[in-house]
Amino acid sequence: MNRLKFIKHSSILSIGGILIPSAILSACRKEDLFNNSNFKGKVIIIGAGAAGIYAGYILKSKGIDFQILEASDTYGGRLGKIDGFADFPLDSGAQWLHGQNNIIGDLIHQTNTKITLDDSDEIFWFNNQLVNSLPKDINALFTREDNLPDVSFKDFAIQEGFGTEYANIVENIAGDSGAAASHISAYWKITEEENWISGDEDFKFEETYFDFFDKHIAATISDKISLNTIVSSIDYSQDMISIKDNNNNTYQADKVIISVPITILKSSDITFTPALPTSKTAAFSKIGMDAGMKVFLKFSTNFYDENIIGGSICAAYADEKIGKTGNSNVLLAFIMGDQAAYLTSLGSDTAITNALLEELDAMYDGEATATFISSYVQNWTTKPFIRGAYSFSTVGMGDARKIAAESIDKKIYFAGEAMNINGHHQTVFGAAETGYREVINILNDQK
Amino acid sequence: MKNIVSILILFFCITKIDAQEFKADISYQYMYAKQWDKAIQTYNFSRPTISNKQPLFMHGANVSLSYIFKSPKHFKHGINLSYTNFTSLASNLNSTNLLLLHFIRLGYMMHYENIEKMKGLYIEAIIAANSSALYRNVNQAAFIYDDTHSKAFNIGAEASLKIGYYLKIKNNFYLSPFVSIAYAPYIYAPNTEAVINQTKSLSNKNWTSISNAQIGIAFHLKK
Repeated sequence: MNRLKFIKHSSILSIGGILIPSAILSACRKEDLFNNSNFKGKVIIIGAGAAGIYAGYILKSKGIDFQILEASDTYGGRLGKIDGFADFPLDSGAQWLHGQNNIIGDLIHQTNTKITLDDSDEIFWFNNQLVNSLPKDINALFTREDNLPDVSFKDFAIQEGFGTEYANIVENIAGDSGAAASHISAYWKITEEENWISGDEDFKFEETYFDFFDKHIAATISDKISLNTIVSSIDYSQDMISIKDNNNNTYQADKVIISVPITILKSSDITFTPALPTSKTAAFSKIGMDAGMKVFLKFSTNFYDENIIGGSICAAYADEKIGKTGNSNVLLAFIMGDQAAYLTSLGSDTAITNALLEELDAMYDGEATATFISSYVQNWTTKPFIRGAYSFSTVGMGDARKIAAESIDKKIYFAGEAMNINGHHQTVFGAAETGYREVINILNDQK
Repeated sequence: MKNIVSILILFFCITKIDAQEFKADISYQYMYAKQWDKAIQTYNFSRPTISNKQPLFMHGANVSLSYIFKSPKHFKHGINLSYTNFTSLASNLNSTNLLLLHFIRLGYMMHYENIEKMKGLYIEAIIAANSSALYRNVNQAAFIYDDTHSKAFNIGAEASLKIGYYLKIKNNFYLSPFVSIAYAPYIYAPNTEAVINQTKSLSNKNWTSISNAQIGIAFHLKK
């Protein structure tokens, strides 16, 4: 073969062997998961929280018929907003964006939404006095990644030599996960968060988390949400799934995404035909969700510190004005677990407020009562379709979350923050992830 | 990076003295990495507001340097160092998302040429350690969270086969057009999904296989 022939042949070989196949392969490789979904059925989503709304948002973008059935008279789930209490809007539910490396962080970039890093200082109520630091670093105890036992935070702290004087500090750490210190597992919390990749910084929205989610996601599908529709039963024994509500209305669907809080699944408010597998119900029961409430206290002066940690009535107070544009002096009492259960047991908003003021008076020499204007109690525990804060990792949890999130018979799918098995449970973006994950699962099952 | 390049240039300059052949390649590279496709596809699927979708990693540019040891036989061996760059850029309202993927391979090369039988044709097989780094930039700046650039490092091994043809230009200087195919059966890539789709283990395994094909031209300096 002479040189010219070789060049000719190798050119043909190159074009034929590399460029043409790569052009064909490039054309075959699509940028989206399902460019031409052949799913023509109807999807019903039960629950209009972040997961359900996000699932609907994705279904709409793919041109798939869907309807969202929401039991309460509003959508958003544990996202909510309080107007008029202060001269800036308040988040009645989810408030902080935990890290920026997540799907909500992406949307924030795309929409030029203003968020502010919350790097406010902490002060501790320790041995009945306010101190800037603790004698021993207890936070490190619960963030270390080795040799964590499957015992509660409370027991683990005691095992590691942190006495009762640290009890309310431990309640605050557990409260970050929406749990009582006696319920959350040191081992499973770290294990379940192994895949957490969102980042460690906390951000606040200038408006509210609800406003952001509503404006950019929920509003696009709000016409598909049926409010005040309390689902009582789901029959998936036939090809078409039959859903009944409390008013005996029946809805038919090919697929159902259930995105109600784990408390609702645990309580068996919705009956299934056939009954859910026992492995499933056992998994539900292992996922924790404790009481939770937020109380906003408005004062005439700002006498308090940015974050007060370690109260026995409320383990975490936070200056609500941080990251907001406004002048109202609002202190948030962020109350979880046993403390929320106790305050709920007091029976009235006034009693709850008085208990908190009494604690703040002890911390700040009576300034709380002296400057108190009004309060707003948002008790998520008594919300009939929520009944708590958010899911957490219990002692002996194992792979309960994974089992709970598995679909049934390619008909019933589970979404919601409690069903996030990728380390982002307890978060709005974690809920959103499960929303699109279940749409992917539906479309994959259709292949 | 500058230091590494300087050391490599120095290394090749020194070792060239005893080299049978010193070679530099430039090529176009087509890549298929199933798991990384899946991460980008999931990203596009889950973000309906993005009108211009994030492209898959497909088309890259490669440069490579090889040093072939002296040998009286037709079969020679040497070392090869190569660098490939892939980009995936999507520009949308208020947001430009750029994924930068850099590969560096260092490999052992088997080179076969037989002037009598194969004329100017040569064949090379390379087994290489393959490492790569993926970075994310948003709006022409590093995407930073928790004070660090969003990035993922990956490592694995790759085997490739190359066929080229020598074209003599001057006494010791040759050009050769070549084609090459390569396969990396296992690239450990635990954080790639975290950079692309901002999740972990939702859409991807923590490893991927990679297939690629190259077409390019090599510059040879022979003794």
